[in-house]
Amino acid sequence: MLRRIWAVMQKEFIQTLRDRRTLVILISMPMIQLLLFGYAINMSVDHIPTVVFDRSLDTASHAYVDAMVASGSFDVTDYVSSQAQVIEAIDAGRAQAGIIVPPDFAAQVEHGTAQVLMLVDGSDFFTSLSAYNAAEVIAQVHATEVLMSKAERSGLPLGRDPGQGSGQQNLLPLDTRLRILYNPNLDDLWFVIPGMLAMLIQVQTIALTAAAVVRERERGNIEQILVTPIRSGEFMLGKMVPTALIAIVNLLTVLGVGVYWFDVPFQGNFWLFLWLSLLYVLSGLGLGLLVSTVSQNQKQAHQLVAVTTLVGLMLGGFIFPRYTMPPILRVAGNLFPLTYFIPISRGIITKGVGIELLWEQVAALFVYVVAVLLFAARAFKPRLD
Amino acid sequence: MGKRLKRLVAVIKKEMIQVLRDRRTLAIVLITPLLELFLFSYAVDMTVDHIPMAVADMSLDNESRALIKALTASGYFDITLSVRDEEQVVRAIDEGRVQAGVVIPPDFAQQVERGDAQALILLDGSDSFTVQSGYSAAMAIAQAEAIDLLAQQVGRLGISVSLDSLPVTTATHVLYNPALDDMVFIVPALAVLILQVLSVNLTAMAVARERELGTIEGLLITPIRPTELMLSKMTPNLFVSAVGLASITLLGIYWFDVPFQGDPWLFAWVSLLFIISGLGLGLLISTVSHTQHQAQQITVLLFLLNLLLTGFIYPRAPMPPVVQAIGNLIPLTYAIRITRGIFTKGVGLSFVWTDVLALAFYGGMMIIAASVTFKKRLD
Repeated sequence: MLRRIWAVMQKEFIQTLRDRRTLVILISMPMIQLLLFGYAINMSVDHIPTVVFDRSLDTASHAYVDAMVASGSFDVTDYVSSQAQVIEAIDAGRAQAGIIVPPDFAAQVEHGTAQVLMLVDGSDFFTSLSAYNAAEVIAQVHATEVLMSKAERSGLPLGRDPGQGSGQQNLLPLDTRLRILYNPNLDDLWFVIPGMLAMLIQVQTIALTAAAVVRERERGNIEQILVTPIRSGEFMLGKMVPTALIAIVNLLTVLGVGVYWFDVPFQGNFWLFLWLSLLYVLSGLGLGLLVSTVSQNQKQAHQLVAVTTLVGLMLGGFIFPRYTMPPILRVAGNLFPLTYFIPISRGIITKGVGIELLWEQVAALFVYVVAVLLFAARAFKPRLD
Repeated sequence: MGKRLKRLVAVIKKEMIQVLRDRRTLAIVLITPLLELFLFSYAVDMTVDHIPMAVADMSLDNESRALIKALTASGYFDITLSVRDEEQVVRAIDEGRVQAGVVIPPDFAQQVERGDAQALILLDGSDSFTVQSGYSAAMAIAQAEAIDLLAQQVGRLGISVSLDSLPVTTATHVLYNPALDDMVFIVPALAVLILQVLSVNLTAMAVARERELGTIEGLLITPIRPTELMLSKMTPNLFVSAVGLASITLLGIYWFDVPFQGDPWLFAWVSLLFIISGLGLGLLISTVSHTQHQAQQITVLLFLLNLLLTGFIYPRAPMPPVVQAIGNLIPLTYAIRITRGIFTKGVGLSFVWTDVLALAFYGGMMIIAASVTFKKRLD
């Protein structure tokens, strides 16, 4: 039995290594992805191009616009002279936010009735969300500052330490500190790497396994395999090993570059992570075999893999948090091994927790792997038709 | 010319039959877009609210309750767990049972009275969406609560500073999408993304498949020219892609109530141009690939670039120039700007003509490049 598996493995290795172009793509793709995330992707948008229509041009309006710019969230790219021009600049995509300050702003601030209109481009999600949140918070902080200086001028006993005239925060009766665990600087890569590893392994294992089996069928090689004494389980195993190796190599390179080049901290136990990754790789191989059993040709398999990948991406919690999803979709997400592995990956890499906090996910993954392999072995019979 | 047309029609017919015969592929190809649309609409909530939160309230007085109430009343946080101290809050976040926590020290009410109260809000930094929404929500709520408290204190001192409203208020209007509805963001961009994936994938396998199955030689001995072959390979897939686009757009508008602001016909014509550029790109991939497997790997890579570099999810403005330039090599980049312009903003051709021109140029170049590469590879 071992000899038969070994024979299939050898054949698969030769086939994999011979097709250099595919191999290069396979190995380089995760690196491209990582570099993109490392250098290209910014989830929180700042320096949003902003046009200003200032109808007052007094100290109060300057102070307001300055507060917006000083935050780093907005860059004033142009001053225009009507609201229509502000909207046109956003329509044309030259700016993504607009500030409209009414006339007599300083006097209105004095009365406490000043109102600024902030326009935000709502066609791009991240930009509008960032702009919206930043505008709200900065405006509120600025308003509080104005309020405090007003209150001070009217002789309010607000107990500001004479030597420490810094911010307004310490004047307010309640100071809320915000602490972001695990990723205090909101570094995008810290978010991305654990999820990306999970995604990567799943995509590659499913795609490679499905392609390998369907190709044999399409080329008619499956008949030759049928006449050999090999059993379907042995054939499966032989097919799976090279794929698993490629997946693990990619896992290690991405992790290595992430940790040593991009300085993403690996908080937990590396060996625990590696063992659980191996378990997880098996789930992708099983799914790939399942896909291959329902596909007649490579085109179908390719499409099915694309769908599986996409659904896994959406429901697994890689990008979008799972707790916001309706229950039925959360259940649907449980059909993908990604869903179990992402909490494990984030737990070990980002949070640095051990098996004692992750055992539920690990147990679920284990059950999943056993189930999918049994199911695949059953569904996968080297068929003739 | 007549002969030429006849040749073209013959090959188009062959391609049509091939596409229609493989029912399973056709079904997957046409159902996928709808599946994606429904997934996006029901699964994705980009503005995260009801973040599960653990509370360690060590005061249990009026002020601490007021702060907690302010956090929950916003809708951004749901208290799902009550614990004793900060350590347990962190542990709950470690375990993934909650994504946020608030820690209120003992004697909170007295501290507020003295003006040196400090509350601590903790956020799970392993999930980016949660952090982004949670961060600004927590900041805004805490600040509002602090100002409220200040107003009460000052009021009790009997000094008449109008503190019930801040001296400067800012009204933030989100243009085109005032309610920040996810679907308004997603549907226009998703329609073109799916179109790109469909059109590229459909043709990417086409030539590679003929080569792999050995049927390419049969085609080579016919008098058909490379350009004609490329055009006829594109035609049936053009229809399939158009059906995919129409189903997504109509479903988005009529089922998910995403407003279509611009001119539908302009959108349709530009989409056609976009499909052609996608099919052309697919053919180019197909001619440079030796096998279907390679073609498939390249399309997966392209799909990734589509997602990341074109502005579909992540905005292009903050990207470094080199990366922006790479994005310009993908037709989806232009299409996203166009679709956001026509679909969401309702602007006309005068605002998007540069992108339309770029697409037209791109489509033409792709077909030529595919034909040339195909000719070279006749070896």
